[in-house]
Amino acid sequence: MSAPTKIPELVIDGFPPRRPRWVEIVTSADHKDLGRVLITGALGFLFIALVELLLMRLQLAIPENTFLTPVAFNRMLSLYGATAIFLFAVPLALGFFYYVAPLQIGARGTALPRLGQLGTWLFIAAATVLYTCFLFTPSEAGVNPLPPLSGIAFLPNNGVDAWAAASGLATLGFVLIAIDLVATLRRLRAPGMAWRRLPVFSWAAAIGSWLLLVIGPVMLAAITMLLIDRNFEGIFFAGDAGGSPLLWQHLSWIFYTGTYMLILIFALGALAEIVPALARKPLFNRGAVIGSLVAIAVLGTLAWMQNMFTAPIGLGWMYFAMIMSLALIVPFGLVFFNLIATLSGGTLRMRAPLLFAAGAVVAISIGLGSEIEHSMVAVGWRLQHTTDSTAATHFALIGGAVFGGFAALHWWFPKMTGRTMGETLARFSFWTMAIGLLVAFVPLFFAGGEEGEVVDAYKFFAGTGVNAYNLIATIGAFVLAAGILMTLLNAILSREGGRPAGHDAWGGDSLEWFALSPPEPHNFDLLPDVRSARPMRDIREAIAHRSARAEQTARESTPVA
Amino acid sequence: MAPHSPGTDQIDTLLWIGFVAAAILIVAVVGALLYVLRRYGAERGAEPRQVTGGRRIQLRVGGTLGAFAAAILVLSIIYTDKARETPTTGAAGLQVSHSEPLKITTTGQQWLWRYDYPNEAFSYYKLIVPVDTAVELELVSTDVVHTWDVPDLAPKADAVPGKTHEIVFRADEEGTYTGQAATLSGQAYAAMRTEVEVVSPQEYEAFIESQKEGIQAAQDRVVSLIENGEVP
Repeated sequence: MSAPTKIPELVIDGFPPRRPRWVEIVTSADHKDLGRVLITGALGFLFIALVELLLMRLQLAIPENTFLTPVAFNRMLSLYGATAIFLFAVPLALGFFYYVAPLQIGARGTALPRLGQLGTWLFIAAATVLYTCFLFTPSEAGVNPLPPLSGIAFLPNNGVDAWAAASGLATLGFVLIAIDLVATLRRLRAPGMAWRRLPVFSWAAAIGSWLLLVIGPVMLAAITMLLIDRNFEGIFFAGDAGGSPLLWQHLSWIFYTGTYMLILIFALGALAEIVPALARKPLFNRGAVIGSLVAIAVLGTLAWMQNMFTAPIGLGWMYFAMIMSLALIVPFGLVFFNLIATLSGGTLRMRAPLLFAAGAVVAISIGLGSEIEHSMVAVGWRLQHTTDSTAATHFALIGGAVFGGFAALHWWFPKMTGRTMGETLARFSFWTMAIGLLVAFVPLFFAGGEEGEVVDAYKFFAGTGVNAYNLIATIGAFVLAAGILMTLLNAILSREGGRPAGHDAWGGDSLEWFALSPPEPHNFDLLPDVRSARPMRDIREAIAHRSARAEQTARESTPVA
Repeated sequence: MAPHSPGTDQIDTLLWIGFVAAAILIVAVVGALLYVLRRYGAERGAEPRQVTGGRRIQLRVGGTLGAFAAAILVLSIIYTDKARETPTTGAAGLQVSHSEPLKITTTGQQWLWRYDYPNEAFSYYKLIVPVDTAVELELVSTDVVHTWDVPDLAPKADAVPGKTHEIVFRADEEGTYTGQAATLSGQAYAAMRTEVEVVSPQEYEAFIESQKEGIQAAQDRVVSLIENGEVP
């Protein structure tokens, strides 16, 4: 017997050393890295939007205040609108869609990763453009810069151009991410993951992405026309030269109304994941919830002229917008009914995500309830352009993007970081936010509905009956901000210091809980064969079944002494 | 605020209908949510029954919501049509030659409202109208979009450059009604207020006369200054 004289040599040098974390992130086309960039960026801009809101509320704390000059106020208003929509709410929704949906459908990545990468960095570019305008001058044209005010004749500085460039870059980015999501959801679903088995949040991602593919290009067209009008003597929005200022209103409201729906679809989609898992029941009438989300996207966007009841458009069009808006009562009502029916009869775990989910339902229903009044044409003539509409919009969108967004954050934070967010701080944050929201915006319903206080004004006059309402609203805004800051702080602290969560943190039914926390770059080592709409539950049952059988076999084969 | 014209009366009624409808839906959602959270929040132990839903209950809830929405829609159309009706001038109002409403061109400009009455009189900031008289405001703008809003008297309406937008109202009671422009129009937007003074037809005609005389006197003064060479 002779031993082999030479053993084949196996050399392991180890994996190539990883590049610094920031280089990894900047060059990554992985949907999880990009999703985290979007979510982190969005939460950062939530903070900045809050600062801007508080500055405006300070100005409006007492009548005829001189804390901000009219120009400074209009700049804050313009920045606040762009930040809240383009840099916070939409990127937050897209960030969660982009992070979670590929995991939920059992994909190992996205179909067009470089497109998603480009989209994400266009969002960063948009944010840079919007905020570098502090070097010269921000826009003064308000949340929706209506021509002719946003034209070169009335705002000749470059603020509106910066706004247009930033909004355009962001919108283009959102559309690119949406294209990637649509392709991923169509092509990369795991074996057996039929559309009828797709988790509701992934449905929301698909619906939201399709919606963006429709409304995004409309906004891009409008912004391009605005830039041409301002810089190249265009006449698209010039009323006296063959164009029409109303054209901008139509195009921009199609986008803003669609975006409003997108944010709510995101929030309701997240709630449809959180509520069943924490009630330990399947979603009641899953099919109806998904159908309702589709209806919300279609009807809601078709209702864009609901914002134009005071404009000189035909009464027939106003009735069309009213029919579309009032029809939304059915799908929104069904989603709320089914969420509540899911809770009914369950064994509820009142954890932070469920708390924020409940807050989202309350806030969104108050906001949408008030929107019903705004949709009734004659009432719209009275309530639109007053602080009543400010309050309605903020209830619905803070309910969707902040309460719904925070529910999603608490829910998927364990998946993203492997750690759970602190529960005590979450509870404090929730109750502070809930009180703050009510105190900040309920008075504005009265100021607008009862006294007709107008929107966007840098001051109000004593003797118009709105002093107390505004002071209370300012105090409420600070309370709301304090609550929001607690959750942002909680997220920062929990990233490193949170309780380790494990891979299946909540006992959810969808496949993201089958991946590690945080997931490997390729998401899954092996993919299960999906047999139902609750694949993770099937996996858990199979494992329990097998270990029970193994135990039994072991017992049977053990010789009895 | 209280409505002081037939149109705003209708708007006010519809506002209350809308308020009640919204309140019903909000209370139903919030109430049901708080109830289930309280009732099942303390449940422990075994896995609950895995109910996945039912077509019947879904159709029933959807149908109820649809009927609710349809009812609001019908009421909205009825009251909106009433609110838009051109009122007729009453017995106490200004008796103009035709049965047409009194037409006043209302021009929005940064940051002031100008009112042009028939007979070439005009005024800034303050609009004077006779009581119990149908008035039609023809809203135009010389620069950006403005919204004319005196909630007690008339629906809000935009003055858009290049377009004419008509609203009608009939003030029921003499008095002063305040309003404020309601679309961001630039730096002094918040100061762009207006006032509607509703007076008797006699006072209205006296006002128009004095306004015309004042305007004429001012023009004469300018002409004489130019003729005397005091102004180039």
